[in-house]
Amino acid sequence: QGLPLGDSKKYVIGDIKVTGTTTYSEKIVVGFTKLKEGDEIYIPGDKLSKVIKDLWDTGLFSDINFYITNVEGNVADLELEIKEVPVLNQARITGVKKKTETEDLIDENNLKPGVKVTENLITTTKNYIESKYSKEGYFNASANIDVRPFTDTTGVKNRVNMIVNVDKGDRVKIDEIKFTGNEQFPDAKLRRNMKKTKQKNPIRFWKRSKYVENEFENDKLSIIEKYKESGFRDARITSDTLIIKNAEEIALELTIEEGSQYVIGEIDYLGNTVYTDDQLNRVLGLKKGDIYNGVLIDERIQGRDPSKQSVSNIYQNNGYLFSNIDLVETNVYNDTIDFEIRIVEGKEAYFDEIFVTGNDKTKDHVIYRELLTKPGQKYSQEAVVGTIRELGRLGYFDAEQLEPEFIDPNPQTGTLSLEYPVVEAGASQIELQGGYGGGGFIGTLGLSFNNFSVQGLFDKDAYDPIPMGDGQTLSLRAQASTYYQTYSLSFREPWLGGKRPVSFSTSFSYTRQFLFDYINRRADKTRSFDILGVSIGLAKRLQEPDQFMTISNQIGFQRYDLNNYNTGLFTFGDGFSNNLYYQFGISRDNTRINPIFPTGGSLFNITAKFTPPYSLWNGIDYGNLENNPDYQLKDDNGNLVDYNGNRVSPENSVPDTEKVDQKKYNWLEFYKIKFAGTWYTTLANFGPSKDLVLKTSAEYGFLGAYNSERGIPPFERFYVGGDGLGQYSLDGRETIQLRGYENQSIIPLDRPSNARDDGATIYNKYSMELRFPITLKQAASIYMLTFAEAGASYDNFRDYNPFQVNRSAGAGLRIFMPTFGLLGIDFGYGFDPVVGQQGPSGWQTHFIIGQQF
Amino acid sequence: KDSAVKYQMAEKLYTEGKAEEDKSKLRKALRLFEQIIPEFRGKPQGQRVVFLLADTYFLLGDYFLSPFEFERFNQLYPDSDKAEEAKFKEAASYYYRSPRFNLDQTDTDKAIEELQTYLNTYPEGENAELANTMATELRIKLEKKAYEIAKQYHHTEYYKAAIAAFNNFLADYPGSPFREAAYYYRAESAYLLAINSVPYLMETRLNEAKELYSTYNKYYPEGEYSAQTADYSADIDTRLQNF
Repeated sequence: QGLPLGDSKKYVIGDIKVTGTTTYSEKIVVGFTKLKEGDEIYIPGDKLSKVIKDLWDTGLFSDINFYITNVEGNVADLELEIKEVPVLNQARITGVKKKTETEDLIDENNLKPGVKVTENLITTTKNYIESKYSKEGYFNASANIDVRPFTDTTGVKNRVNMIVNVDKGDRVKIDEIKFTGNEQFPDAKLRRNMKKTKQKNPIRFWKRSKYVENEFENDKLSIIEKYKESGFRDARITSDTLIIKNAEEIALELTIEEGSQYVIGEIDYLGNTVYTDDQLNRVLGLKKGDIYNGVLIDERIQGRDPSKQSVSNIYQNNGYLFSNIDLVETNVYNDTIDFEIRIVEGKEAYFDEIFVTGNDKTKDHVIYRELLTKPGQKYSQEAVVGTIRELGRLGYFDAEQLEPEFIDPNPQTGTLSLEYPVVEAGASQIELQGGYGGGGFIGTLGLSFNNFSVQGLFDKDAYDPIPMGDGQTLSLRAQASTYYQTYSLSFREPWLGGKRPVSFSTSFSYTRQFLFDYINRRADKTRSFDILGVSIGLAKRLQEPDQFMTISNQIGFQRYDLNNYNTGLFTFGDGFSNNLYYQFGISRDNTRINPIFPTGGSLFNITAKFTPPYSLWNGIDYGNLENNPDYQLKDDNGNLVDYNGNRVSPENSVPDTEKVDQKKYNWLEFYKIKFAGTWYTTLANFGPSKDLVLKTSAEYGFLGAYNSERGIPPFERFYVGGDGLGQYSLDGRETIQLRGYENQSIIPLDRPSNARDDGATIYNKYSMELRFPITLKQAASIYMLTFAEAGASYDNFRDYNPFQVNRSAGAGLRIFMPTFGLLGIDFGYGFDPVVGQQGPSGWQTHFIIGQQF
Repeated sequence: KDSAVKYQMAEKLYTEGKAEEDKSKLRKALRLFEQIIPEFRGKPQGQRVVFLLADTYFLLGDYFLSPFEFERFNQLYPDSDKAEEAKFKEAASYYYRSPRFNLDQTDTDKAIEELQTYLNTYPEGENAELANTMATELRIKLEKKAYEIAKQYHHTEYYKAAIAAFNNFLADYPGSPFREAAYYYRAESAYLLAINSVPYLMETRLNEAKELYSTYNKYYPEGEYSAQTADYSADIDTRLQNF
């Protein structure tokens, strides 16, 4: 019954009635009060006050009043008048453009439907929004909140809509940044160190001089960092003042206390048993008297970037996972700092178990053979990083999601286990094209399975939808049009036998082409040209001089069969030509990490392709063939004739070039040497997966003959210019990309204008490309590029001039999607004229499909 | 009412589909069950509908959804007389999901765990014997995985890694059918490591290999690899005479 208050009276409660707006039933509200009929209370009294307070605390009501409606004796009827807090139906935010920003504001202020709209909520929301935008530089931001009752058809009462009207106003600009107390660095230099907080400058239009509080805080730290790098390790900003000049402009004033410049005194090592002081000093690379650069010292001691040297790294790369290195300043005198590097080496750590998880397609043995960390091996940070690189290079997994996990590192036993969680990525590519070109429909079907399993072919459970997981590559391609068909199949097993990375590859291809009759617009099926090719190759990754080297061997055979096929491509229309060759290659590839977008490393290739030197032993005098009556022009009766068909005497006979060339090229004889080098350098990093990368490359190729009289065959030649996409290559030709010029348009300058265009025997090319990723996500990798390149082709070394080149520059875009491979477009401008043309080559557009570079 | 008709239809399709192993009937049943389930929630027939839905997923081989449906059933109706069957089928779903040994075994681990839970809850259960067989099969799968990984180190001539991996294998999987081979290949790894060592390490390593061969002999005196063991042990003895 509580305590009486003042001149209160004790009553027995009679009836309790609830009035006012409420969505609750009367019973529930009475329940809230915990009062019931028959209770004795003092009115006024603390009990009643408490009831009101409790009701208030529920947050459901905005107004609470008790009235005595009727008194009979000591029985009082009470009326409880309440006003319920309205419930939010919907909050709308106006004045904010982005949807995410709207959603953020709703989330951050908890403006969800069903929330009680109290005065407090309205005020805090308003304040929150205004302060949020002011922190982002919108000093004039204001938020007006309009609460409107809302009634819907269901008749639920007491609901409101909240309309939050945000007016961000203009961002304030920084008119001026002033420094005082800086003697060591001029104002301008300090301002340059502020990356995001810039003062107004009419010529710097790409970075606005906006003021954002968080950025300003970061920029202050980077000023201090700048001082620290130069030995001013006590430097601090003693005050910063923001002066509001007018509605749009502010000024910042920073006072800096530089302190004095410190130098390094004695460096002592403590606790090192594995490495001597001298060895550690060499790693540290700092000596007494050097300026005390706190940032650099920290990097050289604690730095974990595997590409840089640091004391921590040499321990981490040699088993000392549990090592701990501390830098302690022991003495500071006359601006000189002595310090001690305290090393707790800990026990050497060994790998216990190595796990791979997440491989739901790729089989264990395909992954484990690539791991550089093995059970029982000493821990090495380098090996872990290297393993990630190797796994990324396989292309079966999402390179951006590879992150090793340490399991149970135990400093007592000196063991740890490692887990490599992998995420499978689509490793198959499908190419399906149809198009109209060259006088007919061309259809292409290409399938490339990069993680194929031949073994799975015989296992019906493995078809999902195709057998995968053995790390083999199978490519099938068929292209057909009205006048040609080409089929090819290639297969590669990267670890033949599974013992060593010896890659076995084999390919088969067949092309049949009919002469196209342009007049009747149909293919002449009686005249054809067949090419059959087979090859077998073995390539081996070397351990010496380093694990990035690969040597490869290939034996191949191609047969060209011409059946009344005179097109000028060959000097003879009936006949054949065989190309049996051996190719040897050395390559070194340490590009990292993402194969689609390497950010570092280089790739070198040297290949040499030889045919047997038949002319050494077959005794044919190729130089004298034209004087041999067998190879001279004759009429149908076997009489010598000249080109006009008139009979001539043997002294005036002329050679039958068809026969001579058929003899010369029945078995091709040549050697071809190529070199290509590509370097990737990260120029700047703008956050994770945002590297600005420079790709530099140089290429050379040379095709030569053993026997100058037999000559260099018209096959296997270099065709420079254009997108570099190998169309269907009839004759082992190599198309060399040079953007900004039409396909295969760059022919040797010194060549007589009437010569046949059968490609060059020498070429060189230089290229620089700047690349920047837009996204490197699993589903699609996209990057932009700009390039400048130059290249040229020559007929012989006499004409060779590495500086007489065709230059071009341009820009483009690449999109890589796992199922489609690489797609791209480049716009290139060729600065030099091509042979037979006046003026520069001009703008060219190139579409890039499937090229993996 | 509409949903009652649908329910009858669904159950008919389910029963027929199950008996005739007709997937298209089961798929139709599934669609109906999914439609009516919200209306039956909390009603007496709800129990049956939830179970049948789960079982339809199971019969259709959708082992990614069936375990969750069975689990939900057991949470909603822990006292149902179908609880045992549901628990078993939940575990069995994971069993069917378990991939070949040389792929990620997360589902295998989960299946063993679930089968074990089933066996602990219903030691005398109707499917206890089957669950035991399944669990054993899965354990052997895990053993095969670990063994093959260790064996690969041996094959790729990382003998130290092979020895370490076989040691882990022997410690982790007592009673595995691959133990004999593991003992043998551990010894052979040690032997191959020893004979390819620099001279000053060779003697110790040969002795270690000898030790491992005799361990093999101790456990498998008449084993599959006894002949090779005898040969290699003799070879080690000859080589050791040089020291």
